[in-house]
Amino acid sequence: MYFRRFIVGVATSVPMLAVMAGAAQAITPDQAKSFITASGDKLVAIVNGGGSQDQKASQLRHLVNQIVAVNQVGDYVLGRYINVATPAQKQQFEALFHQLLSYNITYQIKAYQGVSFKVNSATPQGNDVLVDTTVTAPDKAPADVGWIVEDDSGQPKIIDVIVAGTSLRITTRNDYAGVITDHGGQVAALLTAMQNQITRISASQ
Amino acid sequence: MTNLNRRLRRGLALTVPALITATALSGCATPPPKSDTADYQAYQQLNDPLEPTNRAFFKVNRTLDTYVMKPVAEGYVAITTQGIRNHVTDFTSNIDEPARMLNFMAEGYPADAGTSLVRFLVNSTIGIGGIFDPASAIGYPKTSTDFGITLATWGVPAGPYLYLPLFGPSGARDVWNLPVQWFATPMEAAPASTALNDFGHAEDGINLINTRATYLQPIDQIDATALDPYATFRSLYRQSRASELQEVKQHDHRTWPDWYSRPAK
Repeated sequence: MYFRRFIVGVATSVPMLAVMAGAAQAITPDQAKSFITASGDKLVAIVNGGGSQDQKASQLRHLVNQIVAVNQVGDYVLGRYINVATPAQKQQFEALFHQLLSYNITYQIKAYQGVSFKVNSATPQGNDVLVDTTVTAPDKAPADVGWIVEDDSGQPKIIDVIVAGTSLRITTRNDYAGVITDHGGQVAALLTAMQNQITRISASQ
Repeated sequence: MTNLNRRLRRGLALTVPALITATALSGCATPPPKSDTADYQAYQQLNDPLEPTNRAFFKVNRTLDTYVMKPVAEGYVAITTQGIRNHVTDFTSNIDEPARMLNFMAEGYPADAGTSLVRFLVNSTIGIGGIFDPASAIGYPKTSTDFGITLATWGVPAGPYLYLPLFGPSGARDVWNLPVQWFATPMEAAPASTALNDFGHAEDGINLINTRATYLQPIDQIDATALDPYATFRSLYRQSRASELQEVKQHDHRTWPDWYSRPAK
């Protein structure tokens, strides 16, 4: 039964699969709350709005690039392997990660038609702020989703999503590390796996 | 045959073949040399020395799921509403409430144990056998716990990760929750009867299907997006357990006699 809380909530937040950045200056809880409210409203408007799935996916990709510190994702997700990867591999990883994020968002659109979003509270956590929200979708139990917001060069950006105590950036990092360790620590294996997944998803869409 | 004996036989029939198979197929991951500091630390941190065996059972469970559990759960979802499924969750959760009460007592959290008792009494009566959850509405919300969490509060470390045939993700500490959960039900306290046994079987079955139905979309999502679903489930399981332990520790406080100063929360 204890497996239920995180696994249900994980589905809710992947459209904003987010990651990590080096903190610069503190952001206030009110700023973070306003940012998440505005971002959530935009997200809900796109998911519930008109247009084809392709149009929605394109709009969501644009939104995610605005509100998520996507470029720092690789640094965190690669973890210690960032020191092993060559500059070319790192560059390829970032490109593939952007692409995978886009596909994952597209995958989620159909499942979350009719989603609604309520911002509950904001709590400082060091230089970051945890904004607690409730996400509800038809025929799904409401899920508590936490958004970690930090100041990124003067702009608030999402750096992690917490669902029932599970961090998406940690989960993704462990997922990717699993592939690398299974292949003797070769970053190339991760890049191949990412490329294969993109090819597979492209073929099925 | 007593109810206890029947449940014991049923439990052994399920778990013993699984454990024998697990032992027979037991394979250990080869640790990296200690001279390779980063890799060795990562291996230690992963704490999954039985990874090859765990991955084998992961595949077995996923195959069973693909051909049995998932189709059944999809059929169940097709003929039920979210409201009905929520009531089924409330019902099966209520049956587990006495076990939660005992665990909270063992953990030294009497306020939460009291909450579990009130929840069981209120939901079993006003909530019509637990189908409804009026206890939450009157200020007694559910807090999860189990024997694995109890052992954690006693200081028992999580130990190596285990992926069990049929039962799924677990660990050297959490695996002890299985036998405790099996016997700590109200049905064990009632006089044995065929009707009660049938009820127990039905409750186990509906709980399994209802739980799988809850996971339909999230598991599909993990399958579609994760590069290594085994590593993803392992990560989610461990984070979830750590979070539950943290929640139990923060939720209640141990009560102390008035003549002692209350420890800071």
